[in-house]
Parts: sequence; C-alpha cells; structure tokens
Amino acid sequence: MKLKEALRYLLAFGLPIVILCLPLSAFGIEGMTIQEQRVVAIFVMAALCWVLEPIPIYATSVLVIVLELLVLSDKALIFFKSGVEQPDFGVVLNYKDIMATFASPIIMLFLGGFFLAMAATKYRLDVNLARVLLKPFGHKPANVMLGLMVITAIFSMFMSNTATTAMMLAILVPVLSIFSPGDRGKAAFALAIPVAANIGGIGTPIGTPPNAIALKYLTGDNYIGFGEWMSFAVPFVVVMLLIAWFLLKTLFPSQQDKMELAIKGKFLKTPKAIVVYVTFAVTILLWLMGSSHGMNSYTVALIPVAVFSVTKIIGKDDLKNISWDVLWLVSGGFALGLALDKTGLASHAVSAIPFAEFSPLLVIFAVTLLCLLMANFMSHTATANLLMPIVAALAVSMDSLAGFGGTKAILLCVTFAASLGMSLPISTPPNALAHAAGHTTTGDMAKVGAALGAIGVALTFVMVYLMRVVGYV
Amino acid sequence: MEKLTIICVDDQPEVLNAVARDIGSLSSHCDIEECQSAQECLDLLEELDAEGKPIALVISDHVMPEKNGVQMLTEIASDGRFKTTRLFLLTGLATHQDTIQAINQAGIDQYFEKAWDPDELLAECKRALTRFVFAAGLDYLDYQPVLDAEKTFELVAGRG
Repeated sequence: MKLKEALRYLLAFGLPIVILCLPLSAFGIEGMTIQEQRVVAIFVMAALCWVLEPIPIYATSVLVIVLELLVLSDKALIFFKSGVEQPDFGVVLNYKDIMATFASPIIMLFLGGFFLAMAATKYRLDVNLARVLLKPFGHKPANVMLGLMVITAIFSMFMSNTATTAMMLAILVPVLSIFSPGDRGKAAFALAIPVAANIGGIGTPIGTPPNAIALKYLTGDNYIGFGEWMSFAVPFVVVMLLIAWFLLKTLFPSQQDKMELAIKGKFLKTPKAIVVYVTFAVTILLWLMGSSHGMNSYTVALIPVAVFSVTKIIGKDDLKNISWDVLWLVSGGFALGLALDKTGLASHAVSAIPFAEFSPLLVIFAVTLLCLLMANFMSHTATANLLMPIVAALAVSMDSLAGFGGTKAILLCVTFAASLGMSLPISTPPNALAHAAGHTTTGDMAKVGAALGAIGVALTFVMVYLMRVVGYV
Repeated sequence: MEKLTIICVDDQPEVLNAVARDIGSLSSHCDIEECQSAQECLDLLEELDAEGKPIALVISDHVMPEKNGVQMLTEIASDGRFKTTRLFLLTGLATHQDTIQAINQAGIDQYFEKAWDPDELLAECKRALTRFVFAAGLDYLDYQPVLDAEKTFELVAGRG
C-alpha cells in the first residue's frame, strides 16, 4: 500500500521533471520553444495527477494555476525568465489571464447555479417538488421508478448530480427495505437514481462541469446559448432516460406489486421561500430566453447571487458550503487550456501529427470513445479538462471536419461522452453513493453502465447527424 | 486516507474485548484503541491529538474506579479540540442523575445498556462516524465502507 502510494507520487511528479530536462529536439515538433516544453511538463503532471490521484483532483487544478504563474507568466520566478530574449524561448503568458480563470464567466455561471441549488435545498423546494411531481406516477414499481428517474434528471440539470442523487436516495432507500430480500427490483431502483442523475446533467450548460468546459471552447460562430443547449440536450436526455428505464426494468424485474414513497412536508409559504421560488423561476426563464433581453447566461447567473445575498437567504455560513473544489477543478482546466493555446503548443502539436490524412469520422469516433473510456475510470470534469483543449485545437486545424459539423459537433460528442462514463462505482460520486447503499453490486452497475455508455455514444452520433441534417452545426 | 480513531473505555478487559470485537469490521478505516480507565483515555486523547489524529468516537463504560465515565465524557465534550468527536455511553449501572448529566452536559449521542445488541452498536458506530467525517470536513468518499449510507445521503443532500 505504502509502496503503491509512493510510486503514484513518483510517477506523477517525476515524469514531468524528466520532461523538463529533455533537450527541445527530443519532442519531434518543429520549432518547439522552452515555454512549450514547460507546458508539456505541466500538462503531463496534470494528466497523471488526475488519473492516479496522488492528490485530490481540485488540488491538481490549483497546482496547475500556481505553477503556470510561477513558471510561465510574465511575473514568474526570476530564473524561469532568463533567456527570454532567445528566439526559442516562446510566448510568455500574462499573469492576469491565468488568474482570471478563477473568475471566468463560466465559473460565474456555475456559481449562480450553486446559489440556486443551495437556496432550493435550504427552503426545501427540491424535496417538495419531488413530492408533487412523483404523485402522478402512482404506486406501481415500474412507474414509480420512471417518476424517480424523471425527477432526478430534471433536478440534476440545475443542481449538482451528486446532491441530487443523495437527495433522491435518501427518499428511496428506506422504502427498498420493504422489498423481499431476493427481489432484483431493488438493484433497478438503486441504479436508476445515479443513472438518471448522470444523464440529466447533460441537459443544461450548468448540469455538470464538462458542459461548462465545452462552452469555454464554443466561442464565436460556435457559441451555444443556454436555451439553445437545452433544445437539443433535453430531447437527448428524454430518449436516454426511456432507454435506461426500459433496460433497468427488463434486467431487474420487481416482484413487488405496489410501493409507496412517503415524502413528508409542505411547500413553505414564508416571504423568503417565495423569494426563492420567484428567483428560481425568473432566472431559468431568463436563461431560456437567450439574449433577447440583452443579457447573456453569464450575467443572468449573477442575479440569484445578488438576490439571495441581499435577502440573507444565503447567509455567511451557507457561503462556506459552496463547492469551491468543483469551481477550482474547472478553473485549473481553463488555465491548462489557456497555456496550451497561448503558447501555441496545442496547434503546434496537432499540426505535427498528420491528422488531415485521417478520416474526420474516424477522428470523431476515436476521441469520443477515448473520452468515454477515461470518464469511466476518472473524474468526468478532469477528463473534460484534459481532452477539450486538445480536441478544440484539433477541430480548428482539421478542415475536413467542417463537412461533419466542425468544432461544435466534435466538442458536443466529447462532452456528452464525458457524462456517459458511469459503469463503475468510482466513475462518478453518484455511482459511489448508490453503490454504498448496498442494493446493487459492482457487476450490475458495470452491466447497466457499459450498455448505457455505448447506447449513449451511438445516440450522440445520431443527434449530431440530425443536427447536421437540419443545418444547425 | 488517514485512519479514524475509535477509543473504547472499560475497566473490565473482557467487556473491552467484546466491544472491540463487535466493531472489529470498522478496523479497515479506523484504529480501535482500548483503555482500561478514564485517565488512560484522557492521556491517550492528549497523545493522539498531539499527533493530529482524527478522533471520531469514544465509547465509554460508566462505573470505573477513580474517574467515572460520565465525568470523563463531560470533560471531553467541553474540550474545544474534541468538539467533533462523537460520544457513546455503554453501561449497566448509571443512576438517573448520571444519565441526566450524560445527556445534558456530555451531550452523548447514544446510550447503550449492557448487554448490548452487537448489530445495533455497529450500526450506531457507523452513523456516528458519518457525522464525524462530515463535521470534520473529511472526504466521505474515502471512508464509505465504514459509513452509514442513509446518513451520508442526508448529509450530502443537505449541502445542496
């Protein structure tokens, strides 16, 4: 155990140091600069740290940002700036640009989402909505399961997948004890929640961090607004949910003929609670309206932050509960992307490999499957952090990709694939939570997760194809 | 991942062994320490705290020579360093007055009567460990096998 631990550190931090010591000619890239070499080292460190996790994944992000500041920026340590006048030194990054990744508009969008979710939880809007929405689904187990999946998916579009899963499992798990011990239906229910949360996260730009990371690279002509994103992602989520529901109830039929979920409580009617409901509704409405009101989704996201702070709905202590780790994890990815882009390494490296000779379809398939594979074994966000900047550079350099939807198409494929990695308990925190409840085995999860991953990726290709047919991408 | 610490206190070695055996399955993620007196436990707490060990739970008997269990638990509860530590009283012989003090002053989480139900003890230990992990700001994913699933859902959901 100790040796394994030590090896992880050695590999994650040793290999980047070796890379730093190599001569520039060793990289096989024409015109490689010293700054680019340093970016390679930081990128390799980030990749190894995110895969092997010797340190927490958000810590890796923080480390990326700080190392970039100390090594690559115009305010770097003095010895890293010696030789700056040499032709092969390369581009020096502006330290303000690196620090700005902490407060990038996309981070603010997420912060707005966190405020909405925190207020909804604090004033029990989530649980009360779940109670009301579950009612029409009746008491037949298969229908209740569909209801739970629909609600989980809707909530995870606006709340974190993890918090949604925890909330829904808290409602569900006590009820599972009435099932007979050998009833396989329990596995269906226990898996339905994380599956629906992972799929539901795809539905909106704030549903899950990989979506936000994709937005970072979907700029200019490729810009996708909040409502626009939902216009194709929500139908995708609906189809995937139905497939998942059908799969689960076929694989694990329940012998139970009736079940009842008891959710206690009433909608709060205090003035503060009403402010929460109204703000929630207005924010989402403004997001859906696109830019017709002059604001974009990023500026809209700060409205709930202001409203909930002013009304003390989110107080000083609540602020401490914000998932800064998620925000920093994404920021680090942006900083990594910034360094790859601004030093010119991404385009340099991509042009060194003759991608133009490959079939664009093959490239889309390959990166999507790579993303799905990585997302099964490591954090979805870290996967997106690593792949997105490279895929974005690749898309720009590959003219032949334009015939298949260009940057938008390939980034959407990768983004959706990142959320579809859900075959293991370690794939995502929702899976880990569901697994801990004990009603499902790793084998069941692997079967369902792998099937849905494969179906989901195929469906993503169909979706992008249809978007191409209607001329959207 | 750093192991959590559970301290069991009882002057009778056979009871101590029984408790340690009943919660033995937690040893994958917890160091289970055994103390035969209140003073030994307090000394151990000092020592572990100096090493920065996360002290998750103290399970104590009440009637012991010298300092009794409720007195010791009250001392621990009023020590700011151990404010996230969960406390159990496990006894056959506590007076009404002792019990009141255990609840009001020591703020114990659970009161177990001898002889206890091993499954119940283990389940309550898991619940206490879950509360501790969240209160101490540790990552629950690191300790999942020894945590209570339903308590975890509740605490994760509460964070929004």
